[in-house]
Amino acid sequence: MLQELDKVYYFMKRDIISFSTYKTNILLSILSAFFGALSYAFLGSNASMQSVTQIYNIPFTTYLIIGLAFNTYLSQSLTLVQRTINPWSLEEVLVSPTGLVTFIVGSSLWGFIWSTGVIAIYLAIGVFAFGMVLSVNIIGTVLVVGLGIGTFIGFSMIGAGILILTKQGDPVTTVITIATNLFGNVLFPPQVMPFQLRVISFFVPQYYFFTCIRPMLTGQGLQTIFPDLLVLFVMCAIILPLGYMIYSLCLRTARKNGTLSWF
Amino acid sequence: MKLKYSFTEKSFLRETEKLAAPNENAIVAQNLTKLFKSRVRNATQDSIFARKENKVVTALDHLELEIKRGELFGLLGPNGAGKTTLVKVLCTLLPPDEGVALVNGFNVVNQQMQVKRSIGTLFSIGERGFFWRLTGYSNLEFFAAINNVPRRGRRERIMEVMELVGLRDNAFEIFQKYSGGMKRKLALARALLPDPPILLLDEPTTGLDVSSSRNIRDFIKNNLSKKAGKTVLYTTHYIEEVSQMCDRVGIMNRGSIIALDTPAALKNMAKRGEVAEVVVKNMSDAQVNALRSLDGVAGLTAEVQDTVLGQTRLRIRLESVDALRTVLDFFFNEKIKLINFKQEEPTLEDAFIELTGAGVGR
Repeated sequence: MLQELDKVYYFMKRDIISFSTYKTNILLSILSAFFGALSYAFLGSNASMQSVTQIYNIPFTTYLIIGLAFNTYLSQSLTLVQRTINPWSLEEVLVSPTGLVTFIVGSSLWGFIWSTGVIAIYLAIGVFAFGMVLSVNIIGTVLVVGLGIGTFIGFSMIGAGILILTKQGDPVTTVITIATNLFGNVLFPPQVMPFQLRVISFFVPQYYFFTCIRPMLTGQGLQTIFPDLLVLFVMCAIILPLGYMIYSLCLRTARKNGTLSWF
Repeated sequence: MKLKYSFTEKSFLRETEKLAAPNENAIVAQNLTKLFKSRVRNATQDSIFARKENKVVTALDHLELEIKRGELFGLLGPNGAGKTTLVKVLCTLLPPDEGVALVNGFNVVNQQMQVKRSIGTLFSIGERGFFWRLTGYSNLEFFAAINNVPRRGRRERIMEVMELVGLRDNAFEIFQKYSGGMKRKLALARALLPDPPILLLDEPTTGLDVSSSRNIRDFIKNNLSKKAGKTVLYTTHYIEEVSQMCDRVGIMNRGSIIALDTPAALKNMAKRGEVAEVVVKNMSDAQVNALRSLDGVAGLTAEVQDTVLGQTRLRIRLESVDALRTVLDFFFNEKIKLINFKQEEPTLEDAFIELTGAGVGR
């Protein structure tokens, strides 16, 4: 019996030692739990439903389904680049005459096609099961989705770059996920939050993405979202090239240090 | 195995011809240095709170090397000698800290694309770079595309390289069902896909059984080197491999080439003196060390031959034939039973041990 307990202890000790080497991961798990609880608390409040009707003039179900559907899209974009950095495949790609942009675009494309299918399923359920009424402004939707994807691929490249260097948890993805759920206008309008939290939304691109996408799917014109679209455009114009620069820099550093295939 | 090389897409050939830089050397390394700096946990403390220290490892130490076009060049060295680092520098994966490396006449730092178009690379754990749920064919199709193999004729080229490595009949099997040997062969096929003039093969037979290893070695020597005239850099820590197949061999240790010549010439380097191979029974480590320190003994390797019978194989390098008497007296005085005794020609292994001061695998 004691011998078995001794074994159990060493199994646990092995896991604690391994776990403790991923310090960023530990911190991020704690933060995720805290902000996750906060998000669902706001979602469950009556104020959310009232605000949606007042601000967007659409049913709460429509608000929520569009939010969840396009959040899948953004989540997909956010992890796309990370998923391509299997160290061994990465080495094989890097020794081929293939540029970084081709590599990222090529590795991302199927993910987007699949996500588009998932969004279609969300929206179909909304329309057929919950009577959601859609009136799509195609140009506006393509514009907003394009800027959203651009911004999130920028974030994804920053996260992947950090992951290549630290080999630990990717703080960018976790922070962006938290920010999306809490400040992104996905599950509830930021207007229901206290002012001190609400102002953070204005610095979060997801807020502008979701503020723009809903009107584009519910029959409103581009002019109604113009100021928010402009902010989203500026954010995309900054984050996408910044992400590319950080990713390239981290890749170069990992190559220089010889740590590309360490994971 | 019949070598066809019927891959004659014009644009691709034009591009390859353009790459053939007018230089008799396919690979040149001058003063090549690579340092790895890292922060590592203090190795003397077994605690998750152990302090980290800066550590610098010199993987390549002012290395000089020239490999001629069409040459099958063996790079031999113990683990950690810097062979894989050299391959990674030559294929542009690692930038050197100092010195110059030219592959097919192109600089690995500022002409990376030209270098990549000139080489096929097989990494020592190359099979991990494949996609395990795809078939062998689909994997090669992907790597053919990213290595600029033209769309027209791609299928034929893939089937051709699969036939070359003996995998044509398994082309449409899922990769994860391949045996270790098949995976390694597919990695070799991948390196051959773009038909590059230079192949960098990093320990291509590691972990393979004897038969698979021999097949791969024969294929590299007969088909790639002799028939197709490829330049091959072949790294290994198996002495017999380079001894049997390579035109020239470089012995690498601690990041430098410490000897470079034909296998025969390297064997001659060790021909000073004599070699005795002895099988003994029940010889202790202390006795082995005592034997090693005898006057006239230039080097010694000991390898357990049979644990049940307590037999050890000793390979003793003697400075001269006169030292043989001293060694035999030692066995007699220590009452060590001799099972077998023979004098031998020095081998590449003897040269290797003498140069590196290390034993090697196998």
